[in-house]
Amino acid sequence: MLDGKTKSGMAERLASIVGSDNVTLLETDAVLNAHDAWPLSEAKIRTGELLPIADVIVFPETAQEVAEILAVASEMEVPVVPVGGGAGTCGGTLPIYGGIQLDLKRMDKILHIDEKSMLVRVQAGVIGIELEEEVNRLGYTTGHTPTSLRASNVGGFIATRSGGSMSSLYGKIEDLTLGLEVVLPNSKIIRMKPMPRHSVGPDLRQLFIGSEGTLGVITEATLRLFPRPELRRFRSMAFPDVHRGLEAIRRIFRDGITPSVVRLYDPEDTAISMSNHFEIQDGDCMLLLAFDGLREIVALDEEKAVKICLEHGAKDYGEGPSKRWWEHRYDMYYPTELTTSGFSIGDTIDIVAPYDKLETVYYSMKAAMEKHDAFVMSHFSHMYQNGGSIYMIFFTSQRDAKTAWEVYKRIWDDGVAACLREGGTMSHQHGVGLSRSTYTEDELGSAFLVLKMIKAILDPIGIMNPGKLGLGVKE
Amino acid sequence: MTDSEKTAQQVRMCAACPKMCRHVCPTFFAWRSDSPTPHGRALLLHHDNLGLRQLDERAVEVIYQCLECSHCLTWCLPEIDIATIVEDARRILVSQDRFPKGLETIRSSVLSNHNPFCEPHEKRVAKIRFKKTKSADVIYFTGCTAAYREHGIANASIEALKEFGFNVSIPDDEWCCGSPLLRTGFTSEALEQARHNVEILNEMSGETILTTCPGCYRVLTQDYPVNDLRIEKPVMHLSQFLAKHIDKVPKGNLAGGVTFHDPCHLGRHCGVYEEPRLVIERITGESVKEMERSRDNAMCCGNGAGFRTLFSSQAKKIGGERVRQAALTGSRYLITACPFCRNLLASEAGETLEVLDLPELVMTVLRKR
Repeated sequence: MLDGKTKSGMAERLASIVGSDNVTLLETDAVLNAHDAWPLSEAKIRTGELLPIADVIVFPETAQEVAEILAVASEMEVPVVPVGGGAGTCGGTLPIYGGIQLDLKRMDKILHIDEKSMLVRVQAGVIGIELEEEVNRLGYTTGHTPTSLRASNVGGFIATRSGGSMSSLYGKIEDLTLGLEVVLPNSKIIRMKPMPRHSVGPDLRQLFIGSEGTLGVITEATLRLFPRPELRRFRSMAFPDVHRGLEAIRRIFRDGITPSVVRLYDPEDTAISMSNHFEIQDGDCMLLLAFDGLREIVALDEEKAVKICLEHGAKDYGEGPSKRWWEHRYDMYYPTELTTSGFSIGDTIDIVAPYDKLETVYYSMKAAMEKHDAFVMSHFSHMYQNGGSIYMIFFTSQRDAKTAWEVYKRIWDDGVAACLREGGTMSHQHGVGLSRSTYTEDELGSAFLVLKMIKAILDPIGIMNPGKLGLGVKE
Repeated sequence: MTDSEKTAQQVRMCAACPKMCRHVCPTFFAWRSDSPTPHGRALLLHHDNLGLRQLDERAVEVIYQCLECSHCLTWCLPEIDIATIVEDARRILVSQDRFPKGLETIRSSVLSNHNPFCEPHEKRVAKIRFKKTKSADVIYFTGCTAAYREHGIANASIEALKEFGFNVSIPDDEWCCGSPLLRTGFTSEALEQARHNVEILNEMSGETILTTCPGCYRVLTQDYPVNDLRIEKPVMHLSQFLAKHIDKVPKGNLAGGVTFHDPCHLGRHCGVYEEPRLVIERITGESVKEMERSRDNAMCCGNGAGFRTLFSSQAKKIGGERVRQAALTGSRYLITACPFCRNLLASEAGETLEVLDLPELVMTVLRKR
């Protein structure tokens, strides 16, 4: 934390950039702004621990203001932590070394909707639901619907390399982001113009998609739009085991069918998530499917997918469980008395692997995590032609906070270790933040050196979100 | 588990929620900061409950940066009622003399003038056109806003009721219902007003007490009984009364399209959604063109719970957004059923949208016949 004189001097300079109403040094604002959606942060809040706070919070409205703020931060060598919706689940926006929290919520303009090219240009602070509702009015969808849609914003989507619940069909944020504006730590504003694709060297957008505020501040993006589907159909199939469910999914994609939603729940997750609402045999694994598009194509895709599932031993549950999931897809994000009582903590390790490794990764992680007094349930979602993600969800409740946080850490350590050992990748869509920061080098292996070199060139002083993405960790 | 333990548990849950309601919070809209949000208020109260951080001056401000509109409750699966929790916190702050001093004028004006606008009490009905009557069908409790700031609503209400064959009387000595004080934590001062109102209303003859202000309606039907103050006649909001006597309301027509803004106190707080729509559709001959956010998902107008007094520019910003949402329906008329809402929405509406309270709409149509 900075001393009082430095803080007030810095705040004065920041106020001259954004106006005094848009800078705060007040501890109460810092405490409230520290609040993110990392389950460990939430558990600590409940038990009465204070999260790390920034020295000053600044709310810019333009990229130019962001550039000027970064100039002040560089000169004073003060950490800068960009924060969007504050809905990240990995602690990526926690100001662990104090400094400036650069809050983008006032950059909330939808700048232009190009219906001809089906593109929307937005500032980074637009909240997901605001954008989706606006384009819906014109008959479009962004196709990006993470569970945090009401709380997260466009800059956060891109900074964490996120994926929505319909990413199988519409793509992930890296597929959806065609143009990008970024302010570099040296205050240069760079723009990568929106193009369907190009062959002018490496795709520099991808350098910043997933950079988690460590290489610059994302201030604007141009995203793809899709016509709202003429029809969305839901279908649910129960398999006797994970293996047959996964084989059916693999065949569905192999046969050229691309559902918008593909979610296979393991026996534990099926029991917890669905058995209160549907008659399901113990041990069965429910597959939820949705199909978006033209009526004729949806009908054909659904028919073929159902046939494949039946050939793999599935029972047909009609639209029920899948439609119910869609209508209640945000419910699991709410706190409940059960999951927040005492020193309870749960989290999700959202890993990804190709089909040949998915089952091994799943069983290895499950075993490793269950060793630590954790209840583990999982679903395979965000599935693609070559593999997909597993949501390894765990829950533990301990006698005191210290034990709970230690157990939590051990579950993470051993879960991620098992994932990497079996050939998976430790995050599909939540990002790295703090929760995975220490595993980054193991995950990236020899390529981590490239990331470090890029960081050293773009942010030589190391002011940008230190401690995240395995970069700038201070002893 | 005691009530206070249950509330503490709810605050604990809300404080650590991943912000599932923030996108509809009007004060988040106004400031675009995580401080004036439901989970922000809960976090401050959670820390205070644990003795971790006491409410400092900024925290008190955040507690008063709440409109108590309860929109967050619509989106809260665990049904945590932050508006009520905030109001409880305000009561404690008032008892500690830690309320924002910007509210002192309202408090002292209600105590001395029986209205929050520093207007003389003896002029309460000066702009209201009515004849005293001994035998009234209905007693019209005008409320301060219709009496002093929106007397068009009061006059239209009386005219409409007369038109439909009802004798209307107005209390000789009506005082502020107490809503502005109750919502900001001044309970004892509010109850002083309440006791007087109960006394005079119980002495008056008339079958039903009508209000046009949902703030008054909520207070008379909910807060008074909670505080053991019983009004011995049924109390109805004008929209409910007209809906009950819908056959007396002529079928009219009004071109241009009509949308309806649900007042928070009438809708979310009292569950009255259909009655104003029934009256609007009867008198205009048109279906209400609903805003995307309506009924229990309606955005607050920005005026309530002391907010406009303390944070007028943010109140206007919220009101402006609600007007924008109304304009998206393509309607010529934005109707509400609350003098508070009408006042703020009208101040933010441009030339293309005419803002009317329900009785004003009724009389507008009747006069055109």
